[in-house]
Amino acid sequence: MQVTNKWKEDRAFLLFIAPWIVGFLCFFVGPAMASLLYSFADYNAITKPIWIGIDNYTHLISDQVYLKSLRNTLYFVFIGVPVTVGFQIVLSLLLNVEIPGIRVFRTLYYLPYLVPPVATVIIWIILFGSGDSVVNSLIVLFGGSNVDWMGTEGLIKPVIISIGMWSSGGAVLIFLAGLKGIPRSLYEAARIDGSGPIRTFFNITLPMLTPTILFTVVMQVIYYFQMFTEAMLLSKGGPNYASQTYMMNTYQVSFRDLNFGYAMAQSWVLFLLILVITIVLLKSSQRWVYYEGSEKGGSNS
Amino acid sequence: MSTAKAMTSTYKYIMLLLGLLVFIGPLLWLLSTMLKTQDQTYVFPPKLLPNPLTFSSFSRLFETMSLMPRWIMNSFAVSIINGLGTILTSSLIAFGFARTRSRLRSVLFIIVLATLMIPSQVTLIPMYILFSKIGWYDTWLPLTIPVFLANPYFIFLFRQFFMTLPRELDEATYVDGGNYWTIYSKVILPLSGPIIISGFIFAFVFTWTDYFSPLIFIQSEKLQMMSVGLQLIMGKNSQDLPMMAAGSFLALVPIAVIYFTAQKYFVDGVVMSGIK
Repeated sequence: MQVTNKWKEDRAFLLFIAPWIVGFLCFFVGPAMASLLYSFADYNAITKPIWIGIDNYTHLISDQVYLKSLRNTLYFVFIGVPVTVGFQIVLSLLLNVEIPGIRVFRTLYYLPYLVPPVATVIIWIILFGSGDSVVNSLIVLFGGSNVDWMGTEGLIKPVIISIGMWSSGGAVLIFLAGLKGIPRSLYEAARIDGSGPIRTFFNITLPMLTPTILFTVVMQVIYYFQMFTEAMLLSKGGPNYASQTYMMNTYQVSFRDLNFGYAMAQSWVLFLLILVITIVLLKSSQRWVYYEGSEKGGSNS
Repeated sequence: MSTAKAMTSTYKYIMLLLGLLVFIGPLLWLLSTMLKTQDQTYVFPPKLLPNPLTFSSFSRLFETMSLMPRWIMNSFAVSIINGLGTILTSSLIAFGFARTRSRLRSVLFIIVLATLMIPSQVTLIPMYILFSKIGWYDTWLPLTIPVFLANPYFIFLFRQFFMTLPRELDEATYVDGGNYWTIYSKVILPLSGPIIISGFIFAFVFTWTDYFSPLIFIQSEKLQMMSVGLQLIMGKNSQDLPMMAAGSFLALVPIAVIYFTAQKYFVDGVVMSGIK
């Protein structure tokens, strides 16, 4: 194999990845370039684009609905992500025990992750709907009064985050694998040193789990930045735009208002936001992610 | 000592059962709602077991939504196409990244990983415009071709798996006069059963549950997918909870069946993608 000509290797490689090259150019580079270009135009996809410079971008600053959708999305990212990931860690600790029947529990805890989002929304309407829904009935049975979950500005975002938490299955699996990867010897050493369960968690489990946490946080950041279906179908962005997400707003600007140029400017700002937050996360990770032994460790970036 | 152990294990079961209530409770409630009459859904306090038990929600569903069987078939067709297409192209592409010795590999793989991070929404509107111009709008092509030509997730997943196969296998085939195609088709693929199954399942599930792409690229109700169909049910009669529950149940069943029959491949696939 060593005698093989370098060019021949390159040619074979390119032939194998040819489908990706075609897809990458047609469905990624091309559209991305077009979107960058049209973000500087007034364009409705029917008449010719009118070039308006950076007007689309400057307009963002005074667009109240846009700004509200941006604030909502940042709420999801900065509150939804930590809450969801924290919940997932707790769940994986709960499921990381060796007792009879634990596999059945793991199987069933994972199931909600597979429910199609639209079906999840329907389940949430049944559970949290106005009037005598299940959750409200429980509250009334325990002496409380009906809550308008979908119609209260301060409640709708937590309700949507609860959907993300309910579908934690995928991330929990990854955390469980991460927990399995922690050497038993560390726990034994801690036990001999007389370290209690809480200290063991903060001194061993959590640091050893940081590579998995980084991966999961990045995944959740992307999920919450792109929140669409749940907000759109559960509460149509309301009440008073309290659940209008970034993606949902861009969707309406394009397909309801046919303001494609403006929508593409929004898409690019979203991309830059995700990029900046991801870079900050990855850069900061050098300080808080623990890689065992060599620098290669378990990084997932 | 042993009583203390029994205590902690009882405590663990209680915690696990409480969690189970949270995760499975809503699904049980969906089943219960589906088997109720419309009036029963407004009874206070709500009852888990429907009495009388009725399947009338399904007849209402198929009456009001005459296209329902069609949407289910459409979703099956597109999900199977994407499953097969994904394992074909992703295995080829991933083989290139995992087994050839080209100098270009690492640079291009970084680009693949970068596209994994970039939200598809950035390119979505121009894709919509592009597909409208080339006549793909309102066909299944936008739902299938981009999925298996440029999905970085599956390239990553297959590459991860191929990297675990010993390189000596390639060398042996090479010494015997085989080229890369022989290595791919005769050596690697026969060993890749698990990842092929995982890849098919994931592509199937992603397509089946995807709401955004059919919403944007499909206009004719006849060509629509189950996920958007469900949304149309919600729009039709949002007071009829049993009917909406019946629709959700139909959308959920194929996925649940796959999950319970091929659980191992699900778990392996998820873990493979999360860990280096």
